[in-house]
Amino acid sequence: MIRDITIGQYYAAESVIHRLDPRVKVAGTFLYIISLFCFSRFSGYIIAALFFCIMVKLSKVPFRFIVRGIKPILFMLVFTAALNLLWTSGETVLVRYGFITITLEGIEKMVFMALRLVFLIIGSSLMTLATTPNQLTDAIESLLKPLVYIKVPVHEVAMMMSIALRFIPILIEETDKIMKAQLARGADFESGSIIHRIKSIVPIIIPLFVSAARRASDLALAMDARCYHGGAGRTKMKPLEYKRQDITAYIIIFCYMAVIIISGRVLPF
Amino acid sequence: MSIKLQNVSYIYGLNSGHEKVALRDINLEINDGGFIGIAGHTGSGKSTLVQLLDGLERASSGKIYYNGQDIYDKSFDMRGLRAKVGLVFQYPEHQLFETTVINDVQFGPKNLGLPLLEVELRSYEALKMTGIGDDLIDVSPFALSGGQKRRVAIAGVLAMKPEVLVLDEPAAGLDPAGRAEIFGLLKKLHKENNITVIIVSHSMEDIAKYVERLIVMNNGSIVLDGKPAEIFQFEKELEKIGLGVPQAAKVIHQLRDAGALIKGEYITADESAEAIYKWLKNGEYKR
Repeated sequence: MIRDITIGQYYAAESVIHRLDPRVKVAGTFLYIISLFCFSRFSGYIIAALFFCIMVKLSKVPFRFIVRGIKPILFMLVFTAALNLLWTSGETVLVRYGFITITLEGIEKMVFMALRLVFLIIGSSLMTLATTPNQLTDAIESLLKPLVYIKVPVHEVAMMMSIALRFIPILIEETDKIMKAQLARGADFESGSIIHRIKSIVPIIIPLFVSAARRASDLALAMDARCYHGGAGRTKMKPLEYKRQDITAYIIIFCYMAVIIISGRVLPF
Repeated sequence: MSIKLQNVSYIYGLNSGHEKVALRDINLEINDGGFIGIAGHTGSGKSTLVQLLDGLERASSGKIYYNGQDIYDKSFDMRGLRAKVGLVFQYPEHQLFETTVINDVQFGPKNLGLPLLEVELRSYEALKMTGIGDDLIDVSPFALSGGQKRRVAIAGVLAMKPEVLVLDEPAAGLDPAGRAEIFGLLKKLHKENNITVIIVSHSMEDIAKYVERLIVMNNGSIVLDGKPAEIFQFEKELEKIGLGVPQAAKVIHQLRDAGALIKGEYITADESAEAIYKWLKNGEYKR
């Protein structure tokens, strides 16, 4: 039933990309996304695609898992593509039918825009596939650390994020259990009018909230019992440390950025 | 009433790449009026088994018959089955949701589409059976103590008037007094209301002295099935699968291993004490 839903999309594998420091992966993905906006000619896409394919190969994540990331934004993709196609004015008009005008420039822009979006999504997909949610929060906490000076509670936010992530599978399991318990009492979630169906969720939602509150209070007590007092002076069990491979990775990313920027000026297409 | 399982297997995560066999080729028959215990270590498949009995999970292969009817038949009334086989989950108090105790107990019978009068009658009856006093009927279920909550939740299932009551770890998280209270209640329900009771537990100690038939599961299969006294002869095998036998039976086994002439199997502390006393008194005790 509901248990089949997977949240977070970490794909466990033993690869160079998996082993990288999560900060490199977050920063690298960020730079990769910026790079997608640094060129305006087709050659840029070839380089971006090539770079991406090498990363996928290195990560050992099956390609179909990466493509899956596009599915949720398919509608947005088509919508943006259509808008670009119809609302781009240009000189070479290909079709003119009523208010619809399709120009060569429009097609070009549509393809560029769609490709850019696709790379944006699959690029960040690769990061989440090769990094556990906990590593991600660690990386975000570490990268946002400078914001502490302007009084942003970075540690607290990261802590809340990791707690929330940790609770998702627990609550899914809980929902499954409560649903079954109410089904055993003759509840019916599938038939009836929409009003009836919404009402039928009450016996699931209330126990779920109660259990979430109970777990939260237990966790708070447990944290308190271990003298948790926020981020100040707190050490980590697995501190993030840059290793040689991470520095290499940074160099590779900067090289890639350089290639992208230079190619836009040098290559003829 | 009879439930029959024929070559039932259950596999979690079928076709997902990481399948896990929870039950393999189970054959089992449960007849009217029994008091049955299903014992097994964590992950032995016992909880999955009871969910199959209630039609909450569907067997990957094999058939289940309720009173001779195939429950996977398209025309089979699954909700009817859930009324006849009352399943009480582990920590049933976590399913409470209504504003008052009585409203919560009424949820089950209301779902059966019974007339209001019948719903109320059954609910009061069920609360009475489980020993919830009149003073608690209009209280919020969340204001009750742990043991009371559990009894209210059991009443919620009893109000559906099941022929079979299946309980998954009914004593989990209760203190010894609470345990005795719950098991005493089940014994009473079985005796006075003639309900077939099936208790699932990982603790032999808990169920041994109440059940008439004990089914031992390991790794998704039924390994032993019989009267508790018969089953406790297999102490070594039971220990190997992480279950063991009740303390009282163990003492007798150890005395016997040391050469004492005590016949039979004893389950409760009183029975064992009696047997040891007899043996000592008859002078069969020798150095």
